[in-house]
Amino acid sequence: MVAPAYIIFLVFVFVPVVWAFYLSFFDYSIMSLRTPRFTGLDNFRRIISDPVFWISLKNTVRYSLGTVPFRMILGLILALILDQTRLVGRKLFRTIYFLPVVTSMVAAAIVWSLVFSASNNGLANQLLAMFGIAPKGWLADSRLAMFSVCVLSVWKDLGYVMTIFTAGLQGVPLELYEACAIDGATAWQRIKFVTIPLLRPTTFFILVTEVIGSFQVFTQTYVMTQGGPGYATTTLINLLHTKGFVQYDMGYASALAVAMFVALFILSWVLRRVFRAEDIVY
Amino acid sequence: MKVPHNMTTGDGKKKKQLTSGQIALEILKYVVLIVGAFVMLAPMLWMISTSLTADSVIFSYKLIPERITFQNYVRAWTFPSNFDEAVTLGTFFLNSVLVTALITGPALIVDSLAGYVLARRDIPGKNLLFYMALATMMIPFYVIAVPLFLTVMKLRWLDTYQGMIVPFLASGFGIFMFKQFFQTIPRDLEDAALVDGCSAWRIYWSIMLPLAKPVIGTMAIFKVMWSWNQFLWPLLIINDMRMKTMPLALTMFRGLNVTEWGTLCAGMTIATIPMVIVYLLMQDSFQKGITMGAVKG
Repeated sequence: MVAPAYIIFLVFVFVPVVWAFYLSFFDYSIMSLRTPRFTGLDNFRRIISDPVFWISLKNTVRYSLGTVPFRMILGLILALILDQTRLVGRKLFRTIYFLPVVTSMVAAAIVWSLVFSASNNGLANQLLAMFGIAPKGWLADSRLAMFSVCVLSVWKDLGYVMTIFTAGLQGVPLELYEACAIDGATAWQRIKFVTIPLLRPTTFFILVTEVIGSFQVFTQTYVMTQGGPGYATTTLINLLHTKGFVQYDMGYASALAVAMFVALFILSWVLRRVFRAEDIVY
Repeated sequence: MKVPHNMTTGDGKKKKQLTSGQIALEILKYVVLIVGAFVMLAPMLWMISTSLTADSVIFSYKLIPERITFQNYVRAWTFPSNFDEAVTLGTFFLNSVLVTALITGPALIVDSLAGYVLARRDIPGKNLLFYMALATMMIPFYVIAVPLFLTVMKLRWLDTYQGMIVPFLASGFGIFMFKQFFQTIPRDLEDAALVDGCSAWRIYWSIMLPLAKPVIGTMAIFKVMWSWNQFLWPLLIINDMRMKTMPLALTMFRGLNVTEWGTLCAGMTIATIPMVIVYLLMQDSFQKGITMGAVKG
């Protein structure tokens, strides 16, 4: 009875993982008719000497820095505000904030590419026009393109982060808030000394998953800017896609995937050590 | 049971006189919420209003259209692709529906089966199997993207429905959730069924599954949402125009309608509305599922 699930796992997950490691040592191009030849660490050497790789890496880090902190801070603020049962329209607000999360990233990216359209019709330029600022070529400007992608990404997943924080806030014991009230603590003091420390496990979980997730960004940059202008918004997975599925240089792509996997594994381990969630002592 | 929070007063019984500072804070909170809500909704609302604006008239695409027309929707739905007159946005929509349904249904059965066996029946290597399932959750998709493509290619499943469906029929998260759930069901139920002579299959099918409705509901929503919006994998394996799903179709659609925002937005609204409706209907299960996943994860 467990067979169906595990057959699928075996064929479509475990074997591919091993195969990925295996492939990374080969020059495997399904376009050329010659058989794949073993090239050892050559693929990895090619990656390191490829300037586009370093650009992608830089872009991906910039993307991560440009989205994760904003999502987390804004998400936390919204969760805190919406944590009060007295608030009017609480459920409505939660619904609205979560709505972008359920939309297709492709549709969202296209809509935002229209918002950031260089023409006067784009919503962003219309907004600028209201303040008398000249329209900008958002997606054509290599400095603004990544900014636009980041805005889209924060907008899209903010509701999700907010929801997780909300769940975490539910776990804070009521007695502590009552103790604060008795001790005459201000709202700010209460947030600083009770809420935030007790949210540490949640914050930690969100931080790790968001950071690791942000390094895997693909769809936004592919759909919104096609990795451009130039290579300004090409991310690591964009590179993987181009190398593996446009140029069919699968050895390179596999090597890149393997390298990313190992690097992110180490990164998540480091994050866990640094932000270790200890048991909270009241 | 969740205890409602009330952050501004320690207990809800006494009515306190609010200082002007506190009133200002309350107003600020609402302002932030409303501005934020507007930012969240604006792109979507703008998309919808643009879709209702006629392309033929040179408007600027404002937030509220001056004249409403549905011609864009008709045009978008029947828009012939450059491949074949008969292949339209409608075709892609149906492809998405098919793929979503064929992933969700069978996946629920596969996952719940595995979850049940891992929870209840003693088979050799049970723990190992469980850890294997958990391990799959830690493997990001890009690692297996290339070899998975090669696997599907060797199976001759490129450009097919199977290729889009089968690799995703089992999920570690699903198995985990079902196992946790089934472990909470008292054994007496099963023992009674065994005494009555039920086979393992019957116990699963007639007793366990019906009981698992909440978990099924949550997992179903996740699967539906995920499969409908899936982009990377179909992008890799589907080249045949007739097989494309909505997300793929949208990128192509955008290319063909670059200057006609009205039609483009109509197509995107068609792509987005189903999931919005699903979400609005199943909100509670959805929120519960997400927090469950985060808390236990």
